[in-house]
Amino acid sequence: MLLPEWFKLAGVFIVVIGFALKLRTTLVVVAAALITGLIAGLPLFTMPGQEGIVNMLGRAFSENRLMTLFLITLPAIGLAERYGLQEQSAALIRRARAATVGRLSILYQLFRVLHGFLGLRLVGHAPFVRPLIFPMSAGAAETKGEVDAEKLEQIKAANSASENYGNFYGQNLSVVQPGILLVYGVMKGLGYEVSLWRLILFTTPIVLLSIVLGAVQFLHLDRRLNVTAKKNG
Amino acid sequence: MSESWFLNLETVYAVTGAVLFVFAVMTFRDKGNRHRYGSGLFWLLLAVAFGFGGVLPHWVTGMLVLVMVGIDGLKRVSIGSYDETKHEQQVEHASRLKNKIFLPVIAIPMVTFIFALAFRIAGLDSSAVNRAALIGLVVGGIVAMILALRITGSTTRTLFQEGRRLNDAIGSLSLLPQLLASLGVIFTAAKVGNLIAGGIQSIVPENSLFLLVLANCVGMTVFTIVMGNSFAAFPVIASGVLVPLIVKPFGVDPAMVAILTLTAGSSGTLMTPMGANFNIVPTALLNMKDQYGVIKFQLPFALTIWSFHVLLMWILIKTL
Repeated sequence: MLLPEWFKLAGVFIVVIGFALKLRTTLVVVAAALITGLIAGLPLFTMPGQEGIVNMLGRAFSENRLMTLFLITLPAIGLAERYGLQEQSAALIRRARAATVGRLSILYQLFRVLHGFLGLRLVGHAPFVRPLIFPMSAGAAETKGEVDAEKLEQIKAANSASENYGNFYGQNLSVVQPGILLVYGVMKGLGYEVSLWRLILFTTPIVLLSIVLGAVQFLHLDRRLNVTAKKNG
Repeated sequence: MSESWFLNLETVYAVTGAVLFVFAVMTFRDKGNRHRYGSGLFWLLLAVAFGFGGVLPHWVTGMLVLVMVGIDGLKRVSIGSYDETKHEQQVEHASRLKNKIFLPVIAIPMVTFIFALAFRIAGLDSSAVNRAALIGLVVGGIVAMILALRITGSTTRTLFQEGRRLNDAIGSLSLLPQLLASLGVIFTAAKVGNLIAGGIQSIVPENSLFLLVLANCVGMTVFTIVMGNSFAAFPVIASGVLVPLIVKPFGVDPAMVAILTLTAGSSGTLMTPMGANFNIVPTALLNMKDQYGVIKFQLPFALTIWSFHVLLMWILIKTL
């Protein structure tokens, strides 16, 4: 096929437009994959010397099943919810007067940075945020006043963000983490053998900054939740 | 020990596939689901792709994925009915069980943590430690199920009904991280990254250090937004922009610019729906109304820390 090189960006545009219009996400992504592959002249199924698009789809799907393993935690969380998990979290946190959504989010972010430092790698939305951090935060907010649907959205977003902030920046604090190893490997391939410890040295200011910026944002959220709580009486 | 069945991820995938199979059977029999056959087939195919992904030829898995996406595209994946409890009943249970109800949900992170830590201390390589955390997550899930049944005195049937309730709320979105990973593989095979790096090379003046640093960070972030993952973007930007345009001509510290380029990309991950497992799956897990709610919250943080990356990189190049 003699299409210009930049036609390959068609997949990127499909994704951007599909996400913007909130079209069926799964369909948008697969359409982008098929079209990009076809424009680049890849075959649909593997031919000698050339992996096919459907084969790549299947291979990447199999190799990334780890991203969907969290499904196994759902039965226990669901049953615990049925037997009052969220109510008990709220009851518990009502007794801890100092707890707020913002403070819990800050604490959780620090906890996740510690994970990174210890060389532990996991995504915490399923094991930590859904079953524990969110019910505790919602409980803390209830002690300060009425929690409407809008506030609940904000609390969920903040809890999820604290997971991402802690995970993304904290993980570069250990030499066994894949980010550090990736940088080391790529730079070595490009002819520069960098010191692992120097990588950690230069990521430290960014980790500290991420903690400070996170704290600013979370405490600001606390104030916003408080102000509207007072307004609503 | 390192390659025993116990440390094999295929075992935990098979267990998860079995849970999905139970969800599928329950969905087929759920008359309260508007599209019980479509939904049931969807979860059944996912169970097969999950449990047998390691032994099926990749093109078969690929076809399974296309069928699943087709079912979802026709809007035939819907939520069911689960005999849900009233709020008052939950409050009553809470006052009876007290803090015991936390045991199962604490077991999940505890077991995950213990597995990861144990293998870290045992001094295994980092890929074994990563696997240990995943295996720990699955073992933790099973331990939690047993504890939840013990503490509540409920039935296995209710256990899986409740699991299905949460699973249906997430719906087809749980496929998304894996689909995006596939898209990344195809973008890489089509050399989309080289196109982006080439574009930057042709725009930026070669002698302006600040503009080069800016272009490097913009390129890293844009490509991360497209790929949904800074790890996929880094090799492309490092080989296409960072090393040929900054490290080599200006003789700057490669460790410093390399790690700052990587985390400049993290801002991209915080801003993109392509990073579905970080930004979209949580909105489904937490039942948020706005699919982009987490991204919107993260946006000011991401832009601020990104600007600091550009400044810090430029200042450090000037002073080191």
